[in-house]
Amino acid sequence: MELPVAIILLLITLIVLALAVFLIATIVELGKINAGLASVLDGVGEIATKTAPVNGVLDAINGTLVAGRNLLEGLALKKAGPDAAGLVESCFPGEGQRFLARIGRSGTIVPFGEDYPRGAAILGSLLGGPAPPSPGEAQAAAAAAPAAPRSGRISLRKPSPAAVAPPTVPGRLSAKGSRPWE
Amino acid sequence: MAILWIMVLVLVVTLLALAVLLKGVLGAARSITPVVTAIDGVAAAASRDLDAVIALVTTQNYISQVVAGLANYGGSLDAALPDA
Repeated sequence: MELPVAIILLLITLIVLALAVFLIATIVELGKINAGLASVLDGVGEIATKTAPVNGVLDAINGTLVAGRNLLEGLALKKAGPDAAGLVESCFPGEGQRFLARIGRSGTIVPFGEDYPRGAAILGSLLGGPAPPSPGEAQAAAAAAPAAPRSGRISLRKPSPAAVAPPTVPGRLSAKGSRPWE
Repeated sequence: MAILWIMVLVLVVTLLALAVLLKGVLGAARSITPVVTAIDGVAAAASRDLDAVIALVTTQNYISQVVAGLANYGGSLDAALPDA
């Protein structure tokens, strides 16, 4: 056998060996990848199973919360009238305009800040004080008043004198005393 | 004889090229394995984290109760406060 022929045979053998070694190693790695992906698929399947009811539950929660919000906004609209948007704005800054859009109205929103005088007056009237101002008057007063610090909530920390005074009707319930059951 | 030496040369080049290419394929396959293992770990951890999702049903129940209480409270306010 001549030398070049022997070298050719040797090289062909080496090529076949290299092909075999590298392809077998690649097959082994692909087998590992396959097993890993099968495990990942199990995990992803668990995730999909566990998250499947989330959409329905969140939709139900959102529906319930929207119903509650609509109820409170309807109550605010019924009781505060034109002041309602200002009250909403005072409680949740930036939400007054959306409230107006939801109820299909437009106009200027005057936030009341921390105190809602008409609310305090209503509380006072319930305790025997004078009648509360109309909603429009309260809004005008709020617009004319200097800007109060807004903390995002309405408080009635400064009750009207009528609310602090003892009730005029004997035996009437009051937050400040006259507890007939004691 | 010359053509035999040319064949030898071609086979040597082929062997080198094959070695380089197959080594690249093997390296790419080996680099995927740890990534898949890492993804498997993340998926398992995410699956464990989602065990708390079932608590959303309880939350839904609580929210329904809170809104129902709110509705009752609103009804009381509706009766107690004068309309605008």
